[in-house]
Amino acid sequence: MTTCVRLHEVTFAYRPELPVLEGVSLAVETGVFLAVIGPNGAGKSTLIRLLAGLLRPQSGTISIDGTDIHSYSRRELAAKVALVQQEFVPAFGFSVGETVLMARIPYFNQLGFEGQEDRRIVADALQMTDTAAFAARPLADLSGGERQRVFIARALAQDTPILLLDEPTSFLDLKHQVAIYDLLKSVQRERGRTIIAITHDINLAAQYCDQALLLQPCSAASDTSGTSQSPRPVNHYRTGPTSEVLRRKAIEDAFGIRIFSAPVGVENVFLPLGKMAKDADRTPPP
Amino acid sequence: MHSLLSPRKLLTRTTAAFVLLVAVMVLCSLVGTQSVNLRTAMAGPGSPTVPNPDYEILLHVRVPRIILAAIVGAALAGAGAVFQAVLRNPLADPYILGVSSGAGLGAMLAVISGVNWTLWGRSPIAVFAFIGALGTVWLVWTIGRITGKFHVTGLLLAGVVVNACFSAIIMFLTSIARSQDVYATVFWLMGNMAEEDPFVLWASAGCVAAGLVGLFFISAPLNVISFGQTDAQSMGIHVERVQFIALAVSSFITAVAVSLSGLIGFAGLIVPHAVRLVFGPDHRQLLPLSSIMGAVFLVVADTIARRVVAPAQLPVGVITAMIGGPFFLILLMRYNRRVYWLS
Repeated sequence: MTTCVRLHEVTFAYRPELPVLEGVSLAVETGVFLAVIGPNGAGKSTLIRLLAGLLRPQSGTISIDGTDIHSYSRRELAAKVALVQQEFVPAFGFSVGETVLMARIPYFNQLGFEGQEDRRIVADALQMTDTAAFAARPLADLSGGERQRVFIARALAQDTPILLLDEPTSFLDLKHQVAIYDLLKSVQRERGRTIIAITHDINLAAQYCDQALLLQPCSAASDTSGTSQSPRPVNHYRTGPTSEVLRRKAIEDAFGIRIFSAPVGVENVFLPLGKMAKDADRTPPP
Repeated sequence: MHSLLSPRKLLTRTTAAFVLLVAVMVLCSLVGTQSVNLRTAMAGPGSPTVPNPDYEILLHVRVPRIILAAIVGAALAGAGAVFQAVLRNPLADPYILGVSSGAGLGAMLAVISGVNWTLWGRSPIAVFAFIGALGTVWLVWTIGRITGKFHVTGLLLAGVVVNACFSAIIMFLTSIARSQDVYATVFWLMGNMAEEDPFVLWASAGCVAAGLVGLFFISAPLNVISFGQTDAQSMGIHVERVQFIALAVSSFITAVAVSLSGLIGFAGLIVPHAVRLVFGPDHRQLLPLSSIMGAVFLVVADTIARRVVAPAQLPVGVITAMIGGPFFLILLMRYNRRVYWLS
């Protein structure tokens, strides 16, 4: 296994006094499906935007295939990393086919048209995501789940070894959530893509992902040792195989809630239980 | 996959639209307060002592004016399509980033300062309007960049604020100046067509054509940019570069159009929408078709403006809004998202 994405001591802040990520290091191996989990404000989206080259870290390095991400040209990076954002309806009525074809624009000829190879890649992406049947329909006419599959198809048509997704299943019903994860899993298995996805659904992550990154917001660590020195704010994070990272205690600490957990098969199921929940007494005392 | 645009489909449709434009231009050149016989006109200029009036009217009055209308229509509609894409806003028109108020303020300053010279037969009003338009877009662009790096909302807000501010200055100047010249300027700004010096006509045609061809080469990236900057950037597009070229070139051709004929409303908003409704939003096709159909639209509108209250003439802006609005509503009801019937 080779490492395809590596973060070393990455620090990023939108405003200097409020760091979002502080000293985060991470190595993702080729062909791995990694879930990025954590409370709001933990810096998950920032991490994804850094990996997509949309932001530049203030310190530390991010490398892809052993090369610093910012020594790639924008086009070279777009051939390495594709980004799927939360699904939305664009301003103008582009069709599914037109949308997926946009991934090939850097490879268009001088007149601004695609070649045979581009058409083949687009057809393949539509096929893979089960969107070929409505290739001629405008995006606005699709359901949220279908539209998200189209955006995944567009990312696939970018033909990159790495796929980044920012909450691919938010706003989707259970059936479509599972459909998206089945699709991502088959993309990982059949195409050998490395997938890094932000998700709030710990149970889907446990069932589908190989590895997890449990990220906590950057804050002054609650220092129990009692030293007078004010501690430097850092992100607490855990990374590793899902079965090691996604533990009841770790999730409770990260989100500050009580969790009921029980084994399903190889993985556990996690159920958040607030104090007003019917089964609140089923969670162990803190 | 057959619904995607192919070079052949684009060429066929562009050629068809161009043939339509030429036909409309020929037909409209025969319409006017004075009836002109094409065959008589073809006989030539006549002799110096006995000039051929049909030839004179056709060649020196009608044809230049129709070419002028075509240039202005093409520039406004093409620029409108680009502005809508870059600003990701269906309500955007070529004037939204300050071209209108900038041109107005420029024209007003020209009148008030009383400068009195001509440049290739052009009054200082047109020259000042051109400079004012481009200067204001530059100002809005700079403000937009300060408020947020290429943030579309910042740019739009800056445009609205600068437009409002400059409009207030124009009204202030109008109310204190109280001269006949100022009234004439306001009327000129309402959008009108007048006969132009041939050099100005061809130079403007060259500028607008070059600008539109240049914009065609960034029309594929504009497709993704209309989805958002993040999307475009992660797909390997140099978003800032494309945005800058798009706004600079389309502002330039808009300023050329405004300095030729004042502020003709509606064409830059409605024509791209109409073309998008019928042929789809792909900018590789939207841009050339909008330009050609914009030319057709304005040639027709100007012919009506020349004819309807003859021998007096209406400002063409009145006609574009009066016929453009209902026409667009019909299109909207008929083709809402049914875009692929002509594939």
